[in-house]
This record gives sequence, structure tokens and C-alpha cells, in this order.
Amino acid sequence: MLRTVIRKYFNLLPAIIFLITCIVACDHGIEPKPIVSEPPGFSGTITFSGEWPDSITRTHIVVFKDPLLSASDFNIFNLRFVSSEIPFGTQTYEYSSRDSSFVPGTGMFEPGTYAYIAVAQQAVKNLSLVRSDWFVAGVYYAGGDTTQPGSLVIPDSTFITNINIICDYNNPPPQPPGGN
Amino acid sequence: MKIVLKNIFQGFFFLFVFIFVIEDNLFAQTFSITGKVVDQNSNPIPGVNIIIINTNYGASSDENGNYEIANLPVGIYSIEYSAVGFEKAVSSNISLSDKSITIDVILTEQIIESDEVVVTAGKYEQKKSELPVSSEIIHSKEFTEKNFSNLEEALRYVPGVNMTDDQISIRGSSGYSRGAGSRALLAIDGLPFYTGDSGESVWEMIPVSELERVEIIKGAASSLYGTSAIGGVINGLTREITEKPRTSVSGYFGFYDKPYYSEWDWSGERRPFNGLTLSHSNNVGDLGFTLAFTRLEDQSYRKDDHFKKYIGFIKTKYDFTPLSSLTFIANTFNKRSGNFLYWKDSHNALIPPEAEQGQRIETNRYLFGLIYKTVLTEKFLLNIKTNYYRNHFKDTETPVNESTSNLYRGEVQLNTDITEGIVLTTGIEGMGSTVISTLFGNPNSIGFGSYVVSDIKFNFPLIISAGVRYDYTKLDSLDGSGAVSPKLGLNYKLYENLILRSSIGTGFRAPTLAEAFTSTSASGITVKPNPNIKSESNLTFEIGVNYILFNFLTFDVAAFQNEYYEMIEPGIDPLDGLVYFDNIIRARIQGVEASTLFNFIPNELSFRLNYTYLWARDLETGTALRYRPRHIFYSGLEFTKWNFMFGADFRFTSEVEEIDEELVDLGIIKDGELRVPVYVTDLRLGYNLISLNLPLNIYLNVKNIFNYNYVELIGNIRHIRNYILGVSLLIQ
Repeated sequence: MLRTVIRKYFNLLPAIIFLITCIVACDHGIEPKPIVSEPPGFSGTITFSGEWPDSITRTHIVVFKDPLLSASDFNIFNLRFVSSEIPFGTQTYEYSSRDSSFVPGTGMFEPGTYAYIAVAQQAVKNLSLVRSDWFVAGVYYAGGDTTQPGSLVIPDSTFITNINIICDYNNPPPQPPGGN
Repeated sequence: MKIVLKNIFQGFFFLFVFIFVIEDNLFAQTFSITGKVVDQNSNPIPGVNIIIINTNYGASSDENGNYEIANLPVGIYSIEYSAVGFEKAVSSNISLSDKSITIDVILTEQIIESDEVVVTAGKYEQKKSELPVSSEIIHSKEFTEKNFSNLEEALRYVPGVNMTDDQISIRGSSGYSRGAGSRALLAIDGLPFYTGDSGESVWEMIPVSELERVEIIKGAASSLYGTSAIGGVINGLTREITEKPRTSVSGYFGFYDKPYYSEWDWSGERRPFNGLTLSHSNNVGDLGFTLAFTRLEDQSYRKDDHFKKYIGFIKTKYDFTPLSSLTFIANTFNKRSGNFLYWKDSHNALIPPEAEQGQRIETNRYLFGLIYKTVLTEKFLLNIKTNYYRNHFKDTETPVNESTSNLYRGEVQLNTDITEGIVLTTGIEGMGSTVISTLFGNPNSIGFGSYVVSDIKFNFPLIISAGVRYDYTKLDSLDGSGAVSPKLGLNYKLYENLILRSSIGTGFRAPTLAEAFTSTSASGITVKPNPNIKSESNLTFEIGVNYILFNFLTFDVAAFQNEYYEMIEPGIDPLDGLVYFDNIIRARIQGVEASTLFNFIPNELSFRLNYTYLWARDLETGTALRYRPRHIFYSGLEFTKWNFMFGADFRFTSEVEEIDEELVDLGIIKDGELRVPVYVTDLRLGYNLISLNLPLNIYLNVKNIFNYNYVELIGNIRHIRNYILGVSLLIQ
């Protein structure tokens, strides 16, 4: 009885070892991600009109994935892009997502639909992600429709240009919920 | 006639004398068999019973393991070697014809798993087979044969244990929190030690060369050990001090192979590593001592991940009387290293981001402990333990992160044999810690605990273990909190080879100072304090069966469930993007654990299989708990024949479902979402040169032989293929 059991396991053992060896020898686990030849992204021009308020300490282009319908939508997980800082007093500013200071996830701007693109300004010294510290100076409108924020659609391997925003200090856009 | 008769008589006389002398020389010519009997680590084994089968010849080995069987006539013999605690060995067909011969023998330690003695589960010696909880033992030979220079490496092969980098998870108890707040208590010779600031277990400090064995208790052990033991206990037990001088020298040299992907080859060379340990033990009068020093150096396969470590260990024991002794333990650790936190990206997986390169960190740790044991009367054993643990580190970040913590502990324990079948273990314990830190501020904490546990043996045979512990902890300015942790365990021997066990109990863990007060920023990750953090608790249940079939098969299976309340986990505050610790989870961890040992050819060929299924869920969100794999599988094959040893180990863990996704979403760790199941295969060869009269062992290890790339922790590729040559010399 015992010998039969032993023989049975002995017969199985090489097969098990062979199977495991095949599985592990052919696979090398984590590998470098494939390089995307044409990274998706967007670019455009920001035009400022009117006098820059002295209180402004930071100005960035920000992109949110979902619409800002409540104060809680202004959160770090909904935020998908923050541009490099726009210098104080600038009148015209050319930007590109390739020059981004902060792109989450893979480090490249990912294709998809983005609900809210704006120029946001801050009056406190250090970079803050608290909604009440921000003021929206300009919003992207699609197709000339200024009644609601425009969506930005970026297909795979496509770079979209002319995502232009006008910031008029004398006629600021509607502020998303949660501001002062 | 008389002369003739006289001559004939004289002739017979000389002929008789001649024949007698010749015959005597022919038949009285004898030889001897001599040799030495040692264990697998070349330690001599005294008192080995050596008999020549089917004869009356025999001997026993002396204190140096030497033996001699003299006056053996010419012949062919089979010799049997036997000693308590070792597998029997037989040398067959030994031909003794024209000279004496020498036969050196290596005996293998006999490990009947259920009969092993453990001291950690009940804080006194108990048979493993009589415990109500699951336990594991790592024997010292595994450190040598598998070339583990760090306890952490050995723990990766323990059933039910999963390591995420240097953080232990027993049956899914922990995820990863950069060392803050361990849910398993680490102790050396029963002296618990964890850093006073973060509560971190420092595996690399343990002098593995001096360990006799490591005991692992699975499941909440708070009813005896209090906070930090909510997931289990790991107790490293050091070797006994030897009666005679014993010096050992062991060392290894190895190198990492080139990375599998050439674009990862940042250095263009095979990076070396090495280690050397010197150890001496002796006894002078009533004072025994062991001194050990270890130096480890690793150039690492990753940039800025190099280190040099120096580990010192002193153990002295003074016997006041045969029933009373004082043991002093000192364990020191110095480490100078790079500071690799995570990769740059998947194309640069072995180098950190540019902004983080060139950082260094220096760590100094000191543990001092005193253990006083005395038998008060036949029924009372008093055990007093005190220890002090100092921990200091400083890095080269801007601004500099620096922390110094001091941990003070004291415990008085009394074991009472009330009757023959009832053992009562009672004790009180106090601890305090102070911290001066740029990360945690300058907080301090105090705590005390009191426990009573009774083990009752019935004749059925049933063992009941029941106990309770009360703990109170106060962290600096935060409100103090207390917890009662009861536990009930049963062990029932259904048959001699079939044992049932079950236990139910609660555990608790107070937050560490780091979890409450950390305020720092490093490598793009900013951590904020949480002064509202509370203690976590759990309810744990286990049922298990152990079955032994002759000496051929050992089978153990256990089912367990842990309910966690107010579980402390690191997370990211969505309002400000900062990392903080919070009581965020009501969690459930369930699972099944099975382990089997086949002794195909006793003492020669064995095969081990271990499997753990884990279901670890956050009950509020329904998502898996972070860094808990669902499947953990280990297997090991070992073949030993005389002086030769071969072994192979295979380790599998399934891909973890949840990691720190926020670090990926926030763009801090590029490509951090990449993770795979773990398949790691190690091979080892060993040879003992005792047959050449050299007490020397040689080992060759190839680890991760298929050069499989995997992460345990986000953005951290684990060891790529590496080769190690190790030697171990014992001088007595």
C-alpha cells in the first residue's frame, strides 16, 4: 500500500517539476512598457486681457476628467493635468501638454474625454490643492459655445492643437462650486 | 632409543611452538575502525551509539565526536550509527582486510515536526503538537544551506507568510506602510524589540549565524504579548553557549547576473556582494559567552541601493546556581546605504528618478537585554526580562530626515505548575519610548500590560488554554486607551497521529508614534500627521488538523478568519493629496493553509508543499486589501546523501489585486501599475569536507535561476538572478 503511494508520487513528481519549469523559464515577468510613437496630447494659446491682480501668486492650466459639479469634484484624483507655471503679467502664452509640470499616471497625457479645461490662479504662497485657494480666470469653450465649459476629446496617438483660452479679468467666467 | 625419543619429542615441541606462533600471528591479526561523527554543520556529536551489525563489537563517540572500534578481525562489516535526535545511518559493506580504516559520518538532525519544542506560544517550553495555534519553525541549517544573510529572506519561505519588501504579513495581516506599525512582533530570545518611533521590525539586525531556530506563531497573540502581536510573533532563539571553545568562520561571495533586459543594465557589470562572520563561544567557570561579528557588503543590482552592514552580537550567561542564571544580550547594527525608494520608470527599472539619485542614509541600532531566570521552588519559575533598544537614522535629503528613538521594556513572568496537568503563566510588562525626530516631532509614549494564561491537560487527551491580557497605551498628547484581549484554545489528540486544534481570541494594536505624528516629505511623497488616530482591534478564529503517516507523510491544514475593526492603513487624503494613516477599514481576512512534507526516502529525499489561500477584503468598499496576494505557494525538494546535499525551492504568489494606486495616479511613480505573479526558483548544492578531516562546508546557491522580474512593492524590482559561493568552517 505504502509502496504504491510512494511510486505514485514519484511518477507525478517529474511531471510537476517539468510543468513548473516550463511555466517559469519562458516568462520573465515585468518588462519595459512599449514606447508609444506619437504621444497623445494637446496645445494652444492663452490670451490675457485686462490688468493682472497683484494678489496672484500662481497661474496654471488645469484639466479635470469629470465636470466640476460640486466642491468635492475639485480633488486630486479628478485632476489630470497641471501645466507649467504661467509667468505673472503674461499677455499671450503658448503651451503644450508635452511641457507639462504634472501629468499623473503613466507620465504621458492619456487619450480620452476631459470635461473641464481652465486657467486657474492662486493667491496663496505655496501650491495648494484646496478648492477655496483657487480662482478660475478662463475656461475652454468648444465650438464657440460659451454657455458651458467645452469638453476636450483626445483620440489614441493624436495630438490636438488650438485648445485656446481667453482670460478676461474684466469679465471672469462662472466659478465652479466651492470657491470663495 | 632414549636419544631418539628425546629428539622426536624435541622435534614435536618445536613444531608445536612453531605452528602455535604462526597460527597465533595468522588468526590474531586485528584492525580498528576509527572516525568522527558530526552533524550537518560539522558540529561533533558525542554519545553516538556505534555498533557493527550482527556482532558484539561497538563503541560510542566521545565529546569531540571521535570513536574507535578496536580488535576487529578481518571481514566485511556493516556499521550502524544512532543518536537521540538524529536520523540513524548505516555504512554497509565495509571491507577490513589488511589495515585499519577511518570512516567519518554526518548524521542528519531528526525532525519529527509535531514533537518539536517551542517556547514562544505560551512563554514556556511546550510540544508543538500540543499547541492550540498554528506555528512554524525555521532551523539554523536553512540559513547556512540557503545562504540567507537576513531573517527576512528566510521568512519568504514560511507557509502563510508573505513579505512585501521588508514588511511581514502573517496570513494577510499587513499590507505595506514603509515600516510603520508592524502587525507581527519580533523578539530575540523572548525580548521584543521594535523601533520606538515607527514600531518597525528590523530583520537585518538579527545575527542569523547565531540563531538556533526561529519560531513563528500565527494569528493574534495579544493575550500574551500585547500590542504589535495582533498578527503573530516571530521569536529568534540564539544558540546555547558551548561548554568547550567553539570558533566558527563563515563567509560568502556572490554576484548578480546582468538584467534580463539590456536597457536596464545601468552599470555594465555584474554587481558583487559578500559577507563574513566570525563567532566564538566558550565557558569560563560559571560564566559562558558568545561573541560574533558580521560584515555584509552589497553593491546591488540597483543604483543607489548599495549597503555595508556591521552586526555585533554578545551573549553572556552566568549561572549563580544550577537553578538560577543571568543572561546578557547585546546586539548592535550599523548600516550605510543608498536610498532606493522606487524606480524611474519601466525602461529604467533599476535606477531611481534623477531627483532622488545620490541619496544616502546611515543607521545605528543598539539592543541590550538582561534575562534573569530562577527556579523558586519545584513549582515556580521566575523570569525577569528587561531591554533597551536605541535606534538612530539620518539621511541626506533636503531638509535632512533624522530620528532617534529609545525603547525601554521590562517584564516579570511567573510560571507555576499548579498540578501535574495545569500550568499557569502570569506576568506584568511595562514599556516606554522617547523620540527626537524631524519626521515625528519629539513625542513619547508609555504602556503597560498584565496577563494570565492557564494551560490545562486532561487525560482524554485534551489541552485547554485560556488566558486574558489587559493593556493600556498612551501616546504623547493623545488620549490613552486600554484593551482587554482574551483567548481560548483547544488541542485534542484524536489518535496518536491525528491532532485537532482550534483557537479564538482578540487582538489589539495601538498606533505607533509614526502613524500618529509623521510629518515629512521625501521623494515626492508628503506625509501628514493624524492626531485623531485610534487603536485597532481584531477577532481571530482558527481550526486546524495535523496528521502524520509513519515517517513518510506529515500533513497540516488550517482554516482561519480575522475580523479587523478600525484597521489602521495608510491612504491619501483626496482633498490635499497628502499621505496619512487613518482608521479607515473594517476588514475581513479569511483563508485556508495546507502544508505537506513527504519523506520519500527518510533521511535522504524529501519534498515539501505549502499552499495558502487568502481572501482579504475591505468590507466597506468590497475591494481587496492592499498588497495581499490571494494565492501563496511554496515547494522545496531536498536530497542528502552522505557528504552531498542538493536542494531546490520554488515560490509563487499571485499578482496582488490592490497596491498604492494613488502613487501612480498622482504621477509620483511612473509605470507603478506594473506587477505580475511571482515565480522564483532557487537551487543549492552543498558538500561537507569532513571526510578529508576538514570541518568545512561548501555551498553553491543560484537564486532566481530563471531571472524572473517581479515586484513586491510598487516600483521595486526584487533580486535578479544571482550566484553565491559560501563556506563555513568550525574549529573546536
